[in-house]
Amino acid sequence: MPLQPTSLRNLHLLLRGTPRFVQNQFHTQWQIQSRSQSTASSVNPIEVSHFNALASSWWDPHGSSRLLHLMNPLRHDFIRSCHASQPTPPGSNLRFLDIGCGGGIFAESAARLPSTASVTAVDPSPEVLAVAKAHARRDPALQGKLTYLNTSIEGLPRPRGPDEQYDVLSLFEVIEHITHPADFLDACAQFVKPGGWIVMSTIARTWTSWLTTKVVAEDVVGIVPKGTHDWEKYINEEELRGYFLRERGWNSPRVMGVVYVPGLGWTRVKGSEKVGNYFFGIRKDE
Amino acid sequence: MKIPSTSLSTRQLGGYVCSGCTRQLRRQRRSYATSTVNPDLYDVVCVGGGPAGLSLLAALRSQPATANLKIALVESQRLDATRNFQLPPTQFSNRCSSLTPSSVRFLEQVGAWQHVDQKRVQSYEEMQVWDGVTGARIEFDWPAEKRGQTIAYMNENLNLTSGLLKRIDELGGVEVLDGQKVEDIALGSETEDFDLSSWPVVSLSGGRKLAARLLVGADGANSPVRAFAGIGSRGWDYERHGVVATLQMEGPGWGGESKIAYQRFLPTGPVAMLPLPGDYSTLVWSTTPALAAHLKTLSPKDFIAMVNAAFRLSPVDLAYMHTQSDGQADELAWRSQHTNFDQHRIPQQVIGVQEGSIASFPLKLRHADTYIGERVALVGDAAHTIHPLAGQGLNQGQGDVESLANTIQYAVTHGQDIGVRMSLEPYNAERYAANNMLLGVVDKLHKLYAVESGPIVPLRSIGLRAVNALGPVKQFFMDQAAGTGVKIL
Ligand SMILES: Cc1cc2nc3c(=O)[nH]c(=O)nc-3n(C[C@H](O)[C@H](O)[C@H](O)COP(=O)(O)OP(=O)(O)OC[C@H]3O[C@@H](n4cnc5c(N)ncnc54)[C@H](O)[C@@H]3O)c2cc1C
Repeated sequence: MPLQPTSLRNLHLLLRGTPRFVQNQFHTQWQIQSRSQSTASSVNPIEVSHFNALASSWWDPHGSSRLLHLMNPLRHDFIRSCHASQPTPPGSNLRFLDIGCGGGIFAESAARLPSTASVTAVDPSPEVLAVAKAHARRDPALQGKLTYLNTSIEGLPRPRGPDEQYDVLSLFEVIEHITHPADFLDACAQFVKPGGWIVMSTIARTWTSWLTTKVVAEDVVGIVPKGTHDWEKYINEEELRGYFLRERGWNSPRVMGVVYVPGLGWTRVKGSEKVGNYFFGIRKDE
Repeated sequence: MKIPSTSLSTRQLGGYVCSGCTRQLRRQRRSYATSTVNPDLYDVVCVGGGPAGLSLLAALRSQPATANLKIALVESQRLDATRNFQLPPTQFSNRCSSLTPSSVRFLEQVGAWQHVDQKRVQSYEEMQVWDGVTGARIEFDWPAEKRGQTIAYMNENLNLTSGLLKRIDELGGVEVLDGQKVEDIALGSETEDFDLSSWPVVSLSGGRKLAARLLVGADGANSPVRAFAGIGSRGWDYERHGVVATLQMEGPGWGGESKIAYQRFLPTGPVAMLPLPGDYSTLVWSTTPALAAHLKTLSPKDFIAMVNAAFRLSPVDLAYMHTQSDGQADELAWRSQHTNFDQHRIPQQVIGVQEGSIASFPLKLRHADTYIGERVALVGDAAHTIHPLAGQGLNQGQGDVESLANTIQYAVTHGQDIGVRMSLEPYNAERYAANNMLLGVVDKLHKLYAVESGPIVPLRSIGLRAVNALGPVKQFFMDQAAGTGVKIL
């Protein structure tokens, strides 16, 4: 499913309604980021300690991560739909890089798929990663296919060629914790194979605001003169995609909205990205 | 790599349990000399090779997504007799079940029905159900387009399990460990490489140990797997036995090609006569243990008379004949002269009973508290045992198996560990309430008709003049017979 016009309308409203807020937010973050560029990590330390506290209940099917467990199958459905949209869908032997893997819910599941060659999963929290590693020992089939690394993306060695790049880079329930998304996208790009995908989602209902306030606004706000009253003409779907994706070497954005319905579980609802949770995928130019 | 003799082809190892792990474990076996035999790892270990267990394995092996799972079947009986099941067309095994069209559709889908000897299967298109006390009948007003359609298929359980085994053999890849009893099930342990502390390890009488990612209990009403999982099972005994026998009739039935199933509700329980191919029928007579024992002592001639009487005489006459130690044939001949009945609404006369086919089984209702545990799933009679009056026990098991196979398929295609409770939840959610409702309705049917006198009988005969007014009950029979589900409320 391509970007829905509805979300763009939201974006439009948001930009028109709070342009100053959006700009200010980015300026501040940008400054912080540039000041600490040398030791820069995309990771916010407060977030890390928050996840440490969650670690023990990560794999409790009735614990606080239940919704994530229930959502996990949809991540695979979404990735499959991304792959199916390619002119020639990829076969097997896929390499995954899972950023912010947490207890490993997605990483384990991706490693179990027969079409997966390997999964590298990273998380900056040592406690959470210890939980992930201990849990993976329960499934002998994961051995050799799943590697956990206690690092952020910045700590990963740069791939030296397409062989070391990944077919799928996943960012599940991570983006809202990233301080500077546009740079982050650029950082991710080095790890993605030409023709590979970044897939992401959020459960925190902030996807719209992330896309609108961060990724797009950063770019668009930067190029659109302040105070212009011509937003309507300027921001249409085509141009948006054209700018913030094409300029950065990405194409084929896809969105899937899902809603949690008690008693039914996670269900895909067309147009629900307006109100609910999203999956978002973009493909790196070949 | 050398594949252990007990495990399967390399293709098999392409399942969840990677060849590396197998190698790893075998290496360990050498280095940790202190520990006892290390278990072999399997994705699915199914205990029980009855209709439920075999259907599950056929389903898993026939679906592409689950075909690479590493699977073992443990069955205490030798399966050769089942595999080579063969009888002349004039003989039938006494354990027969009616299969609903939806069970047959499922069996076709997994490619097993094609291996079931169709000459030994009998469909029926009509049902006659009536109350032995009041004579009231349930009139089945099948919608025009349903009339004449198959309500269910009578089939010997052995013809089914034999077909399933042939299908499993054809597909290959299931490690069949038959003639081996489960001696012990315990949780695995933690080693340097793996943590198998959540994996059930099944020890067999032959000495093998199998660690199961998912342990399936298809091991019947006294399920050792259920006991291992600590899953309680509630219910009661009906104080009834089901007497079964293979009967020869005076002809192929009143409908000719179109066959009829008969069931009469007697105060002691329902007696059912279900058509088999040709001039044969199978009997399921639910009655008190004492009367069941009495029936089994009779000569063939008197047994036949009792069966004919059960569909013709009043419960009072029948009760009297149960007090006779012999001579029922003469008694029936005499009493028949004084009883009117509509020939065409009752089965034809029984003229023979197959030698050695009279047997009886205690009837009970049991329902497990849940069908799933961590790395455990129960299917078929291990999960629930139902009164046979609606012919649903085996069909419920087929419904379980179809649901569990779908659940496993979903888990595999989404990278879930198929054993964990989270992955199994959809199976429990889909089947538990449905089975529970069916168990309850069938139980109430039994109780409704198992009262001989007192306030409920007149009620049964008028209001329920019966039973026609009992819309839900009738609907139940129609829906269940047609396998269209539990739409009974
Ligand atoms: C009189 C009567 C009439 C019936 N009529 C009908 C009917 O018309 N329609 C219908 O749908 N159903 C009917 N049923 C019910 C039907 O027969 C059962 O529901 C069905 O056989 C259950 O199948 P299952 O595979 O779950 O269990 P089972 O057939 O009981 O199979 C369990 C298997 O597990 C094996 N096993 C058990 N313990 C161990 C162990 N420790 N180690 C290894 N193996 C083990 C056993 O050897 C057995 O092969 C009837 C039942 C009765 C009693």
